[in-house]
Parts: sequence; C-alpha cells; structure tokens
Amino acid sequence: MNARFRERCAALWHARFFSAGDFVLRALFLIAVFLIVHLAGLREYTAFLSGTPAHPGMSWQWVAFLGTLYLLLYFAFILLVPVLLLAAAILFLTRRSGS
Amino acid sequence: MNPPAGPPSTARRIGHGSLALLAAAAIWLPCLHFFYTRPATVFHVTPGLSTRASELASRHLRLWTEPGLRQQELGRMRASNAEWDFMGRSFLVWSLANMALRDPPSSATYMQVIDQIIEETLRLERQEGMHFFLMPYSKARAFELEPARSLFLDGEIALMLAARRVAVEKPEYKALLADRVSVIVDRMRKSPALAAESYPDECWTFDHAVALAAIRLSDHLDGTDHAGLCREWIALARQRLLHPASGLLVSSYSRKGEHQDGPEGSTLWMVAHCLQLIDRDFARDQYERARRDLGRTVLGFSYAREWPASWHGRTDIDSGPIIPVLGVSAGSSGMAFVGACAFGDWDYVRTLAATLDMAAFPSRRAGALRYCASNQVGDAALLYATVLGPLWEKVTSRAKP
Repeated sequence: MNARFRERCAALWHARFFSAGDFVLRALFLIAVFLIVHLAGLREYTAFLSGTPAHPGMSWQWVAFLGTLYLLLYFAFILLVPVLLLAAAILFLTRRSGS
Repeated sequence: MNPPAGPPSTARRIGHGSLALLAAAAIWLPCLHFFYTRPATVFHVTPGLSTRASELASRHLRLWTEPGLRQQELGRMRASNAEWDFMGRSFLVWSLANMALRDPPSSATYMQVIDQIIEETLRLERQEGMHFFLMPYSKARAFELEPARSLFLDGEIALMLAARRVAVEKPEYKALLADRVSVIVDRMRKSPALAAESYPDECWTFDHAVALAAIRLSDHLDGTDHAGLCREWIALARQRLLHPASGLLVSSYSRKGEHQDGPEGSTLWMVAHCLQLIDRDFARDQYERARRDLGRTVLGFSYAREWPASWHGRTDIDSGPIIPVLGVSAGSSGMAFVGACAFGDWDYVRTLAATLDMAAFPSRRAGALRYCASNQVGDAALLYATVLGPLWEKVTSRAKP
C-alpha cells in the first residue's frame, strides 16, 4: 500500500507538462501556498483595498505587497485550483474512455 | 488488432490539456457564485434584525464599549482620512436608531452607545474645531461664506441628533438639532444655488441630501415646516445639478452651482436613499438610473462602477481603488447596498452580498463580523444597509412622535 502510494506520488512528481498529473500537482502547490499565507494571517492586509493600513505603523508599500500577495493566491485558490482539478479529471476520464 | 496507444506527442498533450482547461473553466466559473450566494433575507429582513446585521452590530458595539479597540480602529482610519472617523460615527448612529425601532427590547443599549458617540463627536468638534473631521485641504483657502462651517459635519450631526430623537426622544437634543437645522437652512438660503459648502467653495450632493433628510426628520419631530426649501432644492437639482448625458446628479459643485465633478457611485446611492424623504419619484428615478448605469452583474456576482460610461472621473479616496476592465469600485459597491436595500431591489442585494462574501474577506470572531478588505466606516455603511427602513417609515407614515 505504502509502496504503491509512493509510486503514485513519484509519478505525479514526474508528470509531463499539461498532463492530468501536472494539473493536480499545480493545484496541490497552489493549495499549499495559499494555506501558508492564510495561516500566516495575510488576510488582514487586504485592508489596503479600502485605503486603510492593516497596522498604522507599517509602510504602505509593505501592506499593499502583502495584501496583493494574499489576493492573488486567494483568487488562484478559488478560481484556478478547481479549474485545474476539473481539467485533470476531464483528461483522466477522456484518456480512460479512449483506451 | 491495433497496437497499444503510446503517450501522446507534446503538441497533442498541450492541445488536449488546453481544451480540458477551457472546458473546466466553462463548468466552474458559472457555478462559483453558488458557493457564496445566500437569500437576501440573510442580509436584510423586515421586521427584526437579519443575521448579518446582528453580526456586524456586535463588532461595532464592541468598538464603543472597548476603548482600546476603538482607538486602534480609529487610528487606522484617521491615518488615511479623518472624514472616515466621522462618517463611521454617523453611519453607526443612524444604524443603531433603526435597530432600536426593529428591536425595542435592546433599545436602551443602542441609545447608550448613540449618546456616547454624539457626545464625544460634539466634544471633539468643540475642542479641535471642524477641521479635525475634514481632509487637510479644508484649510487650503478660506470658505466663501464666513464664519466657516462644513455642511458635511452640520448635516450628518443633525441627522444623528434627529435619528436618535425619532427612535427614542431625548429632550436635551431638541435645541441642539434646532440650532444645526437653523445654520444649515441659513447657509443654503445665502447661495443662489441653495448650496452650502462642505469644503471651501465645494458643495457636495451627498451632504445636501443628508442635510435635507435631517431637516425632514426635524420637521416631523418639532412641527416646523421646511417643505418649501426641500421643493426648491429638488427643482434646482433637476434644473442645474443633473449630468446631461446620464441624468444622474453630479457629486460636487460650487456655491454658484457650477459642476465640479460628474456623477459618482460613492455619492449617488446614499443620495437616492435620503431623497426618498423629500421626493420619492425623483429618488426612485435616480436609483433606477444609477442601477442601470453603474450596477453590473457578472457570473452571478454584482458590483457597482464609480462612474457611468458617459463620464470618467479621477480615482480618489471616495471611489477607492478601481479594478481595471470591469471598473469595480469598492466605494460605490459598498454604498450600492444602501440603495438596493432602500429601494427593495432584493436580487441586486443578493448578488452584491455574494460578491461581498467572495471578495471582501469576512472574518468572524465570537459572533462579531468584520470584512478584512473594508474598514470601520465601510462596515458601518453595510450595517446601515442591513437595518435601514424603520426610521424613514416612521417619518413618512405621518405618525406624530
């Protein structure tokens, strides 16, 4: 079981560009990075959208940078991740039905 | 027998992958809004308080009962714009007055916070002067009409006092309200365009609409009659303050009534709501025009633009950052809730709320809600949208206080 799981992980890691495995790998990467910035509390810095600093002492550029980083990763998480996983499922199913 | 299929060529794989991505996007993007859309009743109910109203109010009441938290929040806002500190107070007072009418058993708590806000605001205005709540350019040159006063402050303070008194009468505020109304009327009458300054030779439609609403509430409370002034202002606005291409009210003008800016969403939605007390037909016409020219819905998510297609203003502190291509304005989209709830446009409320939940980053702690992408004034305006109604209804139902 463990050996098979490791085998699958290795196959995923070495997946070809634009294959189902590649899409899953990219989705997992985006999920991991988003979770890191979310747990680090970067959501607070989206306050820059209302023209308000998250912390009055911080430089505006730094607040905007962290806020933008969170925004990009959040939208990647809600828009790109499901699209990548669905695309992987479509490729997997079409390939399976083709073979 | 066919040979087993080998791995597809790189070009073929990229072609298949691209098609799969397109198909996945075509499936996912139209479905996304289902994860964020809730019934409009989550946002606004009649009677009582919606869940969203209770959650937002919980956070704001905490701000006024925990001084440390309040100082931190006000410090953040004043770092950007002193006006927001003031407007956050106004929207909260107007909200709490409506909440008192919706939830009478909690009225005493709401009145206590209202009085605290009004008294602290009046003290700051007295001690620091009106510029404390204005942007620095208020000192850049002299006001045309001396002594200098800002309709921004007078109108909103008058509406705070009046809203408090309509919700639960407080005799100590009667003279304070009468004085404010008298100053407002006097200064409007001294201009050929019935225009009172908020900044030096800068008059705002928003501030006039708020001031007229305060005058209307004051008439209801104290039996005075300023119906003539209100009618004159509406006639003048129809004649001189409309943007010709869109028929929408411009946002700012000089004391002589010369346009200084075009129509702006961050102003119009609230203006239409306030004018419901003065001229319902004109108010509805402005709302419907704003809805048509500024309101947009894409893939089940609604937002509002700051300017109609026929006008392009400059991005400023009121509009907030504008998202390119779509033209989404945070300021206009936030205030669109006020217009949509005031005019019972529940489909727009539902889809605006979906955008709010997707893109304003709600944060809930111990039953209190705030939006990370917003600030105290933005959240207070949202709270006002969730509870508005009873105050206006009490005044327009002709029931005497």
